Amino acid sequence: MAYKYLGKSYIRPDAINKVTGKAIFLDDIRLPGMLHAAILRPKYAHARILSIDTSEAEKCPGVVKVVTGKGCTYRYGDNIRDQIPMAVEKVRHIGEPVAAVIADTPRHAYAALDKIKVEYDPLPVYTDARQAMSEDAVLIHENLEEYWHLPTLNPKPGTNIANLYHLVKGRGEEGFEEAEVIIEGEFNYPFGSCAALEPHGSIVWFKEDRTIEVWSSSICPFIIRDDIAHSYGVPVSDVRVHIPDIGGCFGYKSDITVEQTIAWIASFVPGRPVKWVATRKEDITSTLLAHGIRTVMKIGAKRDGKLVALKTIVYHSGGAYSDTAVNVTMAATHNSTGPYEFEHCDLTGYTVYTNTPPVGAFRGYGHPEPQFATERMMDLLARKLNMDPFELRAKNYLREGSVNSLGERMWKSNGDMQACADRVQQIVFGKPKEKQEDDQFYYGRGFAALMKSPKGAPFSTKGCYMKMNIDGSVSVNMGGAEVGQGLRTVVRQIAAEALKIPPEKVRCYNEIDTQFSPYEWQTIGSMFTMQGGRAIVRAAEKLIQGLKKTAAQVLRTDEDYLEYDGEYVYLRSDPSVRVPVTQLARGYITDNGITIGDLAQSVADARLPRYSNPNQNGQGNLGVTYTFGAQAAEIRIEKKTGKIYVDHFASVFDVGQVINPLQIRGTVLGGVLMGLGAALYEEVKFDEEGRILNPHYFQYHIPTYKEAPQQTIEFIETPDPIGAFGARGIGEHPVIGVPPAILNAIYDAIGVDFYEIPVTPEKIKQALEARTEKEYA
Amino acid sequence: MTEKISFTINGETCSVEIDEEMMVIDVIRDVLDLTGTKRGCDNATCGTCVIVMNGKAVKSCNTPASKMQGANILTIEGMSKGMELHPIQKAIAESGAVQCGFCTPGIVMELHALLESKPDASETELSNALNKHLCRCTGYEPIRDGALIAQQLVRERITANI
Repeated sequence: MAYKYLGKSYIRPDAINKVTGKAIFLDDIRLPGMLHAAILRPKYAHARILSIDTSEAEKCPGVVKVVTGKGCTYRYGDNIRDQIPMAVEKVRHIGEPVAAVIADTPRHAYAALDKIKVEYDPLPVYTDARQAMSEDAVLIHENLEEYWHLPTLNPKPGTNIANLYHLVKGRGEEGFEEAEVIIEGEFNYPFGSCAALEPHGSIVWFKEDRTIEVWSSSICPFIIRDDIAHSYGVPVSDVRVHIPDIGGCFGYKSDITVEQTIAWIASFVPGRPVKWVATRKEDITSTLLAHGIRTVMKIGAKRDGKLVALKTIVYHSGGAYSDTAVNVTMAATHNSTGPYEFEHCDLTGYTVYTNTPPVGAFRGYGHPEPQFATERMMDLLARKLNMDPFELRAKNYLREGSVNSLGERMWKSNGDMQACADRVQQIVFGKPKEKQEDDQFYYGRGFAALMKSPKGAPFSTKGCYMKMNIDGSVSVNMGGAEVGQGLRTVVRQIAAEALKIPPEKVRCYNEIDTQFSPYEWQTIGSMFTMQGGRAIVRAAEKLIQGLKKTAAQVLRTDEDYLEYDGEYVYLRSDPSVRVPVTQLARGYITDNGITIGDLAQSVADARLPRYSNPNQNGQGNLGVTYTFGAQAAEIRIEKKTGKIYVDHFASVFDVGQVINPLQIRGTVLGGVLMGLGAALYEEVKFDEEGRILNPHYFQYHIPTYKEAPQQTIEFIETPDPIGAFGARGIGEHPVIGVPPAILNAIYDAIGVDFYEIPVTPEKIKQALEARTEKEYA
Repeated sequence: MTEKISFTINGETCSVEIDEEMMVIDVIRDVLDLTGTKRGCDNATCGTCVIVMNGKAVKSCNTPASKMQGANILTIEGMSKGMELHPIQKAIAESGAVQCGFCTPGIVMELHALLESKPDASETELSNALNKHLCRCTGYEPIRDGALIAQQLVRERITANI
């Protein structure tokens, strides 16, 4: 369908503030009387705290207060209330806050940290789910049974299992009886970090009027507001949360992360705002980590390639507090089918407490980890069946009428998996491979298909306030956080299309302040374009209806006889009978002073059309649409060094409708590079004592300029019935298929199967040496 | 121990008291409130803190503040003239190189140091300069596009001034 303002590359309105250095990020905020906090982290990843002596620290220059967790009686969390703002009796991971210094400057605060003396009694440390699940394991949370949790969760008190999720579809495991071929494999997607360029930070101010004001680098201001109000026993309306510009999120600035800790610290100096900004080391060691997911997978198929049964066990090392991990585990479990239909599924997900920082969202949220397994398994199965891997996949893709693991029926409007796969196959595999190897390199190509499920909750709505101004321009106020994804441009283009006015006449305000911004659950799950877009369309329709209502009185006609074109409301049968919107925006005033109508303003929101909690089989409805895509890598492996070069990477997604070609390409470019980082470089490493060995950028390597591959990016547009103008989300999807595509390409290049990432040059060299030895043997 | 230093920053002369532990970024952000220069890591890896000092791109997070004595410093705040953006800013804004924008000021300053001294910098020189900057959003392609447009605009400006 042809749109006037969609499918065009308008420049993002925040670009100018960002190139002039005027965009305000958390650390750029300075408030009168502001104090600074520094936080002490423990020496051990799991230990009882015997004593804390703060007396020396209190005497240091500039120190206002030294804070510990003593006396903290509340826990917080939206899924399992297992979190505390500061350690009380024991520490459970190496980044946990033990004490904090509040001082006049950050430097004074950090200088005094060394003077705090803490005595610990160390306990056994578990950095992996399966260690923590062993029968004799010491409990990380002794009082798990006392924690409030959502009724849909299933914690196992007396063990380190924070949640057990089990899904059965069809005959479950018995379904393997129908299989003629069975393959099994175990795959590991290790801990990672979102590692956004801007570290986490917060400012909290307990005011004398008993309100609490917060600034945070977060994408969930309303959750912060509700949680802090709950913890401190004040009405939700008395907590005000501001969100400045955010220097990248990628997941770990969702959910409540550092805010409760800073609130606890600030509560000791009422009347003064307290600021804390993570160092890079703290950003990696004390905020949310990613992944930590081991997937054990068994697939049963007929000899002709028809998939029959899937058994998956997800072992998720969820970290010391599992509130933010449980939903990642569940997503990883039911999405482990990838984009395929299995008649029988037996899928189990364990969220396990470990002595590692809590795991939370990472771009892809439980999709990259299990689908890394699924897409490697597809290549392995094709080999075992002696079948073309594209043919095997095509036989089993979710398509109109098929039913996914959750029991949800797929519709044509969910998009065209086959079309994405065909296009990627054509782009990368359309011609024969030029060479397998030369003096320096081995060459390989690999493919992966992917599925992204929606992410929501029963009340996960997004709101929109819209007002038309006296000149016909429109101000759109959204509660969605701009983390770099280009939300403001999307709002502008969708509103322009819906209101039939040029984008230049639309300004999106999303400098979030919970006092003034419309409610939004969280800006997560690649849902803003779709759900926020729908809210904009609804608000625009209401606003236009309001204009028509006023105009009907002015023109003395009926509303349904009127049309709106962005400039005028006019009589459909005779457009010359009209009234300009500029005379309607504030209501209408007749020549003799009679006032008619209302201000042209509207309020709308968009919830998920259908959402249900899991039933006794772990099945249910996730609320909105699914998205499909396909990706492929062309790589070179250097014989001498084992280094992998990704020369070309292709991605095709069915996004329903492209809003802004420049921005959507940018989203995919960046997402693919994140996936490449996971496949080849990134792993947050722990020693046996639970200490993080690489908490800096020079140790935790994220892809650099010279490592970026050339990319081909295309889109299929099967319109979505819910998203604005047919658009679906794309934020997370580009990451999902990258590691399996690269690992499938590695097999194509050197005939070696890898089951875990990152595949470093050392691992390649070892594999090549082992291969050579085998040849000689 | 405090020390008084004087320097020129964004065309204005300036004197400040520093202590010996201070880095250039501390003076810029915390003393002068020029918050456009960003702090992204603790050890000169990410490039968000890059400023131009005596014509060279410098990581302000690991350069001692004492080095500012007598120096001519340019930060992101000194790039535009009123409402008129510097060509590098314009190019970076329009190429899609800006997503979250946290790495942007450092990249703009890096390109300024390179292109103002070497408008004909080769693609390798551009790529060596940009390889010093981490970006987690863009996949770098739009940054390369922006750098190439910037180079063209800088060259055109030179031609126009001859």
